[in-house]
Formats: sequence, structure tokens, C-alpha cells
Amino acid sequence: MSTKLINTLCPFCGVGCGINLKLDSNDQLVGVEPQKNHPISQGKLCDKGWSTAYAITSPKRLTQPLKRVNKTFYPISWQEALSTISEELQGVIEQWGSQAVGLISSARATNEDNYVAQKFARAVLKTNNIDHCARICHSPTVAGLKQSLGSGAMTNSAKDIFSSDLILVFGADPTENHSIIGGQIIQAHLQGAQLIVVDPRVTRLAKLANQHMQLKLGSNIALINAMLHVIIEESYFDKTFIKARCDGFEHLAQHVKSITPESVEKLTGVSAQLIRTVAKAYSQAKHAMIFYGMGITQYMSGTNNVISLANLALTCGHIGKAGTGVNPLRGQNNVQGACDMGCLPNVYPGYQSVDDEKAQEKFSQAWHTEVVKAPGLTSLGMSKAALSGNFRALLLFGEDPAVTDPDQNQVKSSLKNLDLLVVAELTLTETAKLADIVLPAASFAEKEGTFTNCERRVQKLNQALAPIGQAKGDWQWLQALAKEMGSEQLNWSNSEEVFNEITSLTPQYQEMNYQKLDDNYGLQWPCTNNSPNGTAILHSTSFPIGKAKLIAVNHSDIDEMPDEDFPLQLTTNRLHFHYGCGSMTRNSPLLERETPAGILFINPIDADNLNISHFSAVSVKSRRGYLETRAILTNDVPLGLVSMPYHFKEAPSNQLTNTAQDPVTKMPELKACAVIVTALAQGKIPKTIEQLQQES
Amino acid sequence: MKIYLINDLQRLQQHLAKNYQFHQVVTNSDGQCHWQQIASETTKPVVHDPLIYEKPQSSAKAFFFTEQEKVLVFNGEFFQETIPTPKPFVLFGVQSCDLTAIHYQDKFFKDDPYYQARRQQCLLVGLDCITPCEHGFCPTVNAGPGVKDGYADIILHPLANKQWLVIEQTNKGAQALKDLVFTETHWHYLTQRDLVLHQCEKEFPDDKYITDGIQKINSDEISSEFWRKLAIQCLGCSGCTTLCPTCSCYGTRAIKQDNNHFSQQRFWDSCLYEGFQREASFNNPSAEAGTRVQRFWQHKFGDEFFTEFSRHGCVGCGRCEQTCPGVIGIHSVMKRLTEERGQKNGQEDTNA
Ligand code: SF4
Ligand code: SF4
Ligand code: SF4
Repeated sequence: MSTKLINTLCPFCGVGCGINLKLDSNDQLVGVEPQKNHPISQGKLCDKGWSTAYAITSPKRLTQPLKRVNKTFYPISWQEALSTISEELQGVIEQWGSQAVGLISSARATNEDNYVAQKFARAVLKTNNIDHCARICHSPTVAGLKQSLGSGAMTNSAKDIFSSDLILVFGADPTENHSIIGGQIIQAHLQGAQLIVVDPRVTRLAKLANQHMQLKLGSNIALINAMLHVIIEESYFDKTFIKARCDGFEHLAQHVKSITPESVEKLTGVSAQLIRTVAKAYSQAKHAMIFYGMGITQYMSGTNNVISLANLALTCGHIGKAGTGVNPLRGQNNVQGACDMGCLPNVYPGYQSVDDEKAQEKFSQAWHTEVVKAPGLTSLGMSKAALSGNFRALLLFGEDPAVTDPDQNQVKSSLKNLDLLVVAELTLTETAKLADIVLPAASFAEKEGTFTNCERRVQKLNQALAPIGQAKGDWQWLQALAKEMGSEQLNWSNSEEVFNEITSLTPQYQEMNYQKLDDNYGLQWPCTNNSPNGTAILHSTSFPIGKAKLIAVNHSDIDEMPDEDFPLQLTTNRLHFHYGCGSMTRNSPLLERETPAGILFINPIDADNLNISHFSAVSVKSRRGYLETRAILTNDVPLGLVSMPYHFKEAPSNQLTNTAQDPVTKMPELKACAVIVTALAQGKIPKTIEQLQQES
Repeated sequence: MKIYLINDLQRLQQHLAKNYQFHQVVTNSDGQCHWQQIASETTKPVVHDPLIYEKPQSSAKAFFFTEQEKVLVFNGEFFQETIPTPKPFVLFGVQSCDLTAIHYQDKFFKDDPYYQARRQQCLLVGLDCITPCEHGFCPTVNAGPGVKDGYADIILHPLANKQWLVIEQTNKGAQALKDLVFTETHWHYLTQRDLVLHQCEKEFPDDKYITDGIQKINSDEISSEFWRKLAIQCLGCSGCTTLCPTCSCYGTRAIKQDNNHFSQQRFWDSCLYEGFQREASFNNPSAEAGTRVQRFWQHKFGDEFFTEFSRHGCVGCGRCEQTCPGVIGIHSVMKRLTEERGQKNGQEDTNA
């Protein structure tokens, strides 16, 4: 029974629901409840939210710094950890230069942690080698929307779902990944909004939708171009809006002129008639809202896919008003904040370019040190440079690339190649096991700070518990490390001071402070002199780049089509009961029980042909890897397509996925590759990837 | 049983707080209502918050059946039960729906030593509702708005001019009040109470669809197809079973320590999880979400459970409606049920 209630935020996804943590009289976290008056969650949570208490009270939590000698970890003091790290870092910098060190921060950490991480890289280590995991989720969003609209964030807000007449869900599975928003889409649909789903799989929303366009993997652009063709041919487009607010319409119209719905039927697998129906419905709706997810971004053509969606919305004038917009559903709870804070090699906080001399000057002045001009490496770049020996020391927190990275085999060998790997984590993750020094991290319930949700709402996280053992918040240990290295650059006494520094340097956050965030359930950026109470809808009168750009883009084939040797197509998906690499959710006995460790969804007819029955053990092989798992037979995947969630370290789908990349953002094509599936002998238990690797 | 008329609730609160750990529903800065322990009286009496009429988001269920608790420890040699030993505590101002739920759970956990150890230490002070609450429909399922006889140790009933009627219900209640000098009052106040409660009942919105829905659940008119379709909307969040004051499913797991020692923990479970009934062989009698959702409502309204517990498993609090992200809480489900034109289906799923 609880005696205290602390209001804070759900730590899982980008929806940013308000939760209350229930503590008992011994200050133990015993459970949670949703905040009834929270503007987004409104008294609801998804299963991840409800299981929060398990995520952080895991018996596996790290409580003190560890040092690895060969394969064994020994506990050490913080002092020893910091001085070891400091010495090694300085050694590497002396010998190899600042370009050989870097930092990967976390989309799960607070804005304060992320801000301090990039400042540590830029002001203390003197490198722009700073990144976080957005690359495997939504970097094409930032790149694409920035070109089309001038800003890479969700244009509207969750509450707009209820002022929309038509909701178009494109390559996203919100009831599983952003469940509370998914639920609101269901609710709006029940109240009369039209629902249209575009997805190769029969998602939950597809089952409820008015229309489901079950397109073939990777045919997004062809489909959208054909819709644009119909919209322009039938004069469904918004002439006034285009004239006043967009550039490039003539060229786009010319470009799609020959792309009739009939011409893409075969490529997309969607009937011309359905394309026409949906094009009409979307363009003619008074308020129509697009949500999209990784079914758009995780392709080689990710950036162009995003541009294509922007074309669609702009042409119909569905932007800048309530109930409209182009709305990316981003994964981790603070992926928006990590980007806002400049945990990217090419931008400072607030998307101020590191190439820009004025920005360099601004930050040099603010940080009382000359910032480096040399461009930085992305996480993928760091991992490549590590393999070739040009990158030698990495600090990493709150991420588990050894499980989640698209090419985990390469990531593992590159991490092993480092002179120094420091990982700060809650538990001993697969990545932490490779580290030289492991630092015990404080969980979200043990720290104060802010998270920025997918609708740009900067919300206050409140501390409920004292950090377990000797665990520390990320910015606190980074500050201690900076001091150990003789730098006075990082010097704050609490997270509010960090936040005040953030607002002084990040134009979008300018008018925010902790008190205001507390009073308003957070504020949506931009929050400036002109909009001191934040902004719910972007681009209502103009775009940051003046006029929006309609940019003609072409369909390009996915990199690896099925063939004789690898006859099935594999895509990846997520399960609502797990999150990311599962390092938090899988501590819940309830969520862990929901599926075997590792599963493959397969159509019953394919399964029958391969002699596979429900839950039977199968092997999955691609040109890059092999793993074993269990099959789940379901009509939710069409013939010829199989799908795997990526949460399980026992059977990580990225052993198999393709590494071909989006040329702009280097986003790997995680959503499509070719595989062969075979039934294992009856009664055989699938081997985990660890067992398989030990055998080979 | 005595009836008192009091002018000042503070005196009663302060008196009880001297002898019991004192819990009351309060509102936090976000306007959320929740149970809160009020610091015990040591030297000077604390000023207690006035009673509020809003239903707390979480019911009182966790006071007896806790979210997670250690039930056994193994110290390398033998097992030991870890029966809790709480101090006497009072829940001050429990509304009728939640009291009815406690009464229901008292039966369910009759032989459960962990539940009973806590339950026996508790003094229940009930609070009559005199206006309907959001989503509530307690009169329809015979669970309110007035506190039912015998479901609390003491009943509080608000009168005009900030006066209160204090009605003793049990010996435990009488004991708790015995040192207080209160004016006993006339039984005609009870008639007045009945009138007020009756008036309150009339103010509840029309919910014939609920009575009709209950009938339908107990007929063979609802196809498994109906449940299958409805269950597409179940996101498996466990919110309904967590907040429902009568839900009582739990799971257990062993938590290993380093030295051969371990403890057995039990924790709230949810029958809406797919894994709830799955066996190690992967056989699962309720693999279909439809079957699970149907079973949940069967448990709340099925005749077979009515017979066993002499009442419905639902006490009409409406919390499931408020918390269901998939919009299939009680009101939504019952409306959908009554809109469903009776399609007979010979192959009914068996009731759990
Ligand atoms: S939808 Fe996201 S933020 Fe909300 S409870 Fe679920 S995981 Fe947490
Ligand atoms: S089923 Fe719903 S309305 Fe009935 S008691 Fe449970 S939570 Fe309350
Ligand atoms: S609250 Fe709704 S979505 Fe959640 S488990 Fe219950 S029925 Fe399913």
C-alpha cells in the first residue's frame, strides 16, 4: 500500500504520459497510476507505463562502478573510475587528437543530461563527435521535413486528433508503439473521424480502419506520387494555399503527370481504384492529419519518403491548422529532446549549425572556450572509424547498440577495438559487457530534469527516489569527470541551473523555466517572446524557410529483393509490451511472459508450405546472419512477408537486416531484406544468438 | 447501534488519528484524488483536510491486496511465510462502491493470510455519496450510493450546515468511538438519510443499456465474433484490472539472491494479458483477445459468479471506462452490446 504519490513522466515512449509513482512507507516504489488531468494521457497508460515500477526496481540494477579485467568485472570506487577514464581519455587525445574520442548520448536521458553530454564533447573533449540513437529511428524525418517545411518536428499536437476529420496513418503502428496516441486515434475514429491506414501488415488500426492500403514493402513514394497525380488531375488540390505558401508546385505537377494509379498497381500492390478513393478522401477532408512512423523512415529512401508525405499534405493545404499536419511518431521518450539539445554531430542546441561561424562564436563565448570547427562523426561513423583504428575512446550512456544497432556484429567488433569504452547503464546490458568501465546510472525516477515529447512538449520529470547504491545521473558524472580532467566548463549545482543555461542558448526554449513547466503540464516549443505559452501548431502563418518546398522525388527499389536463395521478405516491427532493447520492460514478469524470447510472424500459408506450426522453432537466415526463434502464425502478415520484433537479445532481428543506407542520413534499410525460413527439428528449442556464436 | 450528530468532523478525525494510522483521500496539486497517510498525532493535533466526494483514482484495494509483496523467503534451509504485521489503521471516508468491493474481496481472500492480516487491522469509515460521480453507476449494481449495512464499521453521512451523522455499524466501530462524547440522536435522521440517498439515485443518468447488457451477457445471444471484434481495441494495458476494485488476479515469481537464498513474490496480474493462461507447452485456452475480454466481463456480470458471491463482480465505479485507452470500458462495452442485434451463435466460447 502506498503512502506517497510523486507526479512525474512515463519513461518509455515519445507520447510522454503523466504518471504518478506510488511509494510505500519505506520509500519503495510499489506501483503507478495515470494522471487523470494530464493533457495527453488523461487517466490512461499503456502496458509499458503500467509496468514502470518493475523497470527500475530490478534486482539486476548496477549499484557501483565496475572495471573489467579480461572477462570479469570488479567493483571500484567512483574516484578510481573517474581517474581511470580521465587518464585514458587524455592519453588518447594526446596521441591521436580529439577526433579519436567521442560520446553517444541517449534519447532516454533528460534534456539536461543530453545538453551536458554535447557540451562535454564540444567544450571539454573539443570534438563534434557526439550523437544519439535517432539515426536508427527518425533521422530521415529531420532531414526530410527540414527541406520541405524548415523544421523536423511534429507539426501538430496530440489533441488535434480530436479536431481532425480524417486520420491517415502511414507506416506506423501507434497502438503498439505509442499506445495512448493509438488509443486516441481509435477514439476519434469511433466518434466519426475517417481512418485510413497504409501498411504492409494488417495492424490493429488497419483492422478498424475505413480503408487499408496494404502496400508492398518500400513502395511508399510510388503510392504517394500516384495519389498526387489524382489530386492534381482532378483539381482536388488547395490552389490558394499552394499559391501563397509553397514553391515548386509546377515542377511537382509535371513530375507526377505520368504516374497514374494504374501505372503503380503492380509495384505497390494497391488497386488503382483504392488509390483514387483515398486520394479523394484525404484531399477533400476539411481537416486531415498524417501520422507516420518507421515504416516511412527505415528505408534507403527514408528522407525522400518523408519529403513525399510533406508534398501530399502541402498540396492539399493540410498543414498549419488544427487537425492537420505531418506528424512523425518518434520512438524513445526523449528523442525529440536529444535532437533539440544538439546531440548530433552537425548542430548545437536548437539546431544551430556547427558550420555557421556566428553559431561557433556564440557557443565559444557562452562556454568560455574555443569550440572546434572540424565536423564530427555520427554513431555509425564512430563505429567505422573504430574498426579502422582512427577512433579510440567512446563514452556511451543509456543505449545498447550491441543489441539495437542495425549491424550489431560490426558494432561489437568496433566496440571491442576501442582503447577505452565507458558505458553508464541501469543494468549490465550486452553493450555494457564490452565496456572497460561500467558506471551505475540513476533511473528516471531517481532524477530531476525535463523530457520533450513527440509533440514538442517539454515536461518536468520529478525525482521520487534516492539513486540506488552509488548510481549517479548522467550530467552529474559527466560534470565530475570534467573536473577530474581539470576542466571547469561544467559547473552547476542542480538540474534547474542546467535548464536555465539551455534556455539561454536554445531559441526554441527561450521563455521556459521549471516553474512554468510545472504550472502548465509542460510547454510546447517554440516558446519565445512571441509565444510565451508555447506553440501547439507549427507553420500556421509561415514556414521557418519562408515558403514550403514541394520537391519531386522518385521511387527507388529496395536494396535486397527476395530471390531463389532467400525467398521471403523480412520486415521489423515492435510489440506494444516491450520497448527498445527490452532492458527495462523485460524486467516486468508480466511483460516478459507475453511472448517467448524472440518471435517471427509468418502467414499461415507460408508456414504450412514450410511445415511450420504455431510456436514451433524455426531458423531465419539472411546474407548477413543466422538466428533461431519461434514462429507465430498470423494473417496479419501477407503471403511472402515475415516480420520480427527487435526487442530480444536472444534473437535480435538486426543479425539479419540490411545495412544499405539512405544516402542523406545514412539510415539503414531496416524495414526490408530477403531471408530464408526453415523449420527446426520437432521439439528443438531455439538457440540464443549467444549460444550460436559460441558454437561457431 | 448508536447514531450521533456532530458539528465538527475534525474532532472525530483527530480522535481516530490518535489510535490508528490515519488514511484519507486528498487532492494533490494536479487535482488528482488519492489515498494519503496523514502524519500521526504525536504532540499536537494536525488539522485534517475536509472529506472530499471525488472517487480516488486508485481504490482502497492495495491496502489489503498489495501491488507486490514478498510471501515466502527461503534462507538456504527452510521456507518462511512473511505474514505482514501492520499497526491498526483507519481508512477514513471510503465510498460505497469501494466498500462493496472490499466486502467482495473479503470473500475471495477469506483464507488468504496476507490479505487477512491487513484486513483485520483496518477500521473502515464509510462515506455516503449524495451526488453521482463521473462514470459511476453504483445503484444499477446495488453498490451505492449509500453505504450498505455492515460494509463499514462506521458510516458518515453529510447533513446541511456542515453537520454529520455518524452511524455505528459494528463492534469495532463502537469501540473506536467509545471515548468520544458525542450527542446521540434520533432515528428519524435515518429516514432523512434514506430520502437524500434516494434523491441521489434518481440523479444518475439513465443506464438501461447496462441492465440490458447484463442480460445479454447471460443469454446466448452474443457471438464470439462480437467479442473478437471488440477485443481488437484491447491494447492489453492492464489498466482496467489494475484499477478495478474487485479484480484480484495475481502471479508469483521467485527472486533469487546470490547465496542460494530466494524469496517468492506475488504481484498483481491481469487476465487481459495473453500470457496469463498460457501453459509452458504454449497451449493457451484464451489465446484469442476476444476470449479474454469476454471472460473479463463474464467475471463481472456472469450469473454463475453472482451465485457464488451473491452479487455482481462489478460495483459500478466506472474506473475502467476512464482508464481504458482502447475505449472499451464498462459504458462503451454495454452500449456496443445493446446495439448488437442478437446474432445467435451455436458455437459459444465456454465461460471461464
Ligand atoms: S504511451 Fe508511451 S508514454 Fe504513454 S504510458 Fe505508454 S509508453 Fe508511457
Ligand atoms: S468493472 Fe469497471 S465499473 Fe465495474 S467495478 Fe470494475 S472498474 Fe468499476
Ligand atoms: S483497460 Fe482496456 S485496453 Fe487496457 S486491458 Fe482493459 S480492456 Fe484492454
